[in-house]
Amino acid sequence: MLAEPGHYDYAPYTGRPRIVWPGGARIAVWLAPNIEHYELEPPDNPRKTPWPRPVPDILNYSHRDYGNRTGFWRMADVMAKHGVRGSVSLNVAVCDHFPEIIERCCALGWELFSHGTYNTRYFYDLTEDQQRALIADSRETIRRASGQSLDGWLTPAITNDETTQHVLAEEGIKYTLDMVHDDQPMPVKVRNGRLISVPYSLEVNDVPLFQNRNTPVERYTAMVKAQFDQLYAEGAENGTVMCLPLHPYLIGQPQRIAALDAALAHIVAHDGVWLATGREIAAWYTEHYYEKVSGWLASGTPGGRR
Amino acid sequence: MSGPGIPNYLDYKWRRRGLDHDRFPHRNLPQAKPIVWPGKARVALWVAVHVGHFPMDMPRTPFVAPGGVDRPYPSYWDYTQRDYGNRIGIYRLMRALDARSLRATALLSSAVAARYPALVREIAASRWEVAAAGFDMGKLHHGGLAEAEERALVKEAVGTLRGAFATPIRGWHSPAHSESMRTLDLVAEAGLDWVADWINDDMPYPVTTSAGPLTAMPLAWDLSDQRLLFQQHMDTAELVEQVLRAFATLYAEAARSGSGRILTLTITPWLMGQPHRIRALGGLLDRILDHAGVWPATGAEIVDAWRAGG
Repeated sequence: MLAEPGHYDYAPYTGRPRIVWPGGARIAVWLAPNIEHYELEPPDNPRKTPWPRPVPDILNYSHRDYGNRTGFWRMADVMAKHGVRGSVSLNVAVCDHFPEIIERCCALGWELFSHGTYNTRYFYDLTEDQQRALIADSRETIRRASGQSLDGWLTPAITNDETTQHVLAEEGIKYTLDMVHDDQPMPVKVRNGRLISVPYSLEVNDVPLFQNRNTPVERYTAMVKAQFDQLYAEGAENGTVMCLPLHPYLIGQPQRIAALDAALAHIVAHDGVWLATGREIAAWYTEHYYEKVSGWLASGTPGGRR
Repeated sequence: MSGPGIPNYLDYKWRRRGLDHDRFPHRNLPQAKPIVWPGKARVALWVAVHVGHFPMDMPRTPFVAPGGVDRPYPSYWDYTQRDYGNRIGIYRLMRALDARSLRATALLSSAVAARYPALVREIAASRWEVAAAGFDMGKLHHGGLAEAEERALVKEAVGTLRGAFATPIRGWHSPAHSESMRTLDLVAEAGLDWVADWINDDMPYPVTTSAGPLTAMPLAWDLSDQRLLFQQHMDTAELVEQVLRAFATLYAEAARSGSGRILTLTITPWLMGQPHRIRALGGLLDRILDHAGVWPATGAEIVDAWRAGG
């Protein structure tokens, strides 16, 4: 086992090369709806059991299914109302199972990136060849369904293995979301090719908040606003990224959807906000800051307050 | 280091259009057939009450039902707290509902009916609908149950309620929303016609079984008192806030879409029937009933209206 991922060096949150987003924006805000399918009868994985109850766990299965039947449509309408696009963290088999969902995403101009095939097919214990085959499947499925290239990656249920980031880079993935170590994109150290991390979030994320931390619904809006306000303020010094991950089976419930509506109204009311997709953030960063930040890291992160 | 690999892990047996089972087709809510409720109501209000029996010696396998006994045997704590619901709490719920001319659907363990004939009489007198909810909260339906054993459980649960109540028993809820692959077949075989286990929709939908069709009803779980108050340790005010928010969403959606919606208030006597909560329940009901276009209905009434609407 490794004692650390080994994909990045320590980088203090001071003295960093200054990032400015397009149009002089101080913060890049992106929404990552996780559009998933959890299988009723998933295969076994030695390191993670998909369902808490014996198969068929129809309670938890149907709870997830709510997102695709019901919650997605509500969530998409609220996002469209505020003119905010999504970057879909997509279990690509959804393209086969529920093509109408993908059609709606494409009609709204959303990005599709891969969250694996199903959310019940983990990367734990897979060989590199198996990982490559899964990534190739994602690339082909997304191209077939949308014409888009596969640029971003979030391993299903964040079950990446030690080699996954290396394989992603070698397969031409441009940005990974498997690490939540920063509020700015960062170069990722891989054995071949070039990969960056883009901030995802396990904090303002409806799964930990509503499933694990029992968050009251109004508190959700308050937390998203607070997250935005702080990153917005810091972005005046050095551009930041805020990711709002969403899961339609949770945020799309009738008791919660207005909490998203209120949070988005707060965000879009500000100037200096770049409402971007993951792909756009990765491209801007790679073009303008990858070399600069890499050089700063290589020279020992100079320029802090000392 | 690269992993050892898992044989056949990339085989996808069910990767196709639609769901990975054959019980019902996928449906997107905006494309669901619009429904007009009686009186052109916007929202049907379905009060569903879990009237369960939790035996003190309930098994801990294959899992403990939510709300189930999780303290060492003999847990008087768990047993009597839940039994309180069937002695006291449910009568408070009945009074709160009667005062507003509301009739609930009782999701009833057959063990309750067998043990407490006085409660059976009161439920009948309240003109509540009675739906079968298994034998008790310790006898779960799950994948490890033998077919004959499960068939006998369904038969016993439904038979006991049919013997105890003069009104028809038409609905089914599996304890803890847990099913085996064949539960729905056995439920239809027992002559029932609606079921409330799967939590994937806000509206009814048809389900296929080996013994004819069932109608799936949306029993709220994320919005139930067991989920919010017991599992998630939220306070009563938060439950009221969330139910009102759900109602507001559904009420607006009904107007916008031209299709009726359903607000399911899923409550439990040993939780909402506590003295410190009962007034909040009354207040919540009043705030919903203050709106025009709310149709209070039992599960079976909603099923019938939904079927007639098609």
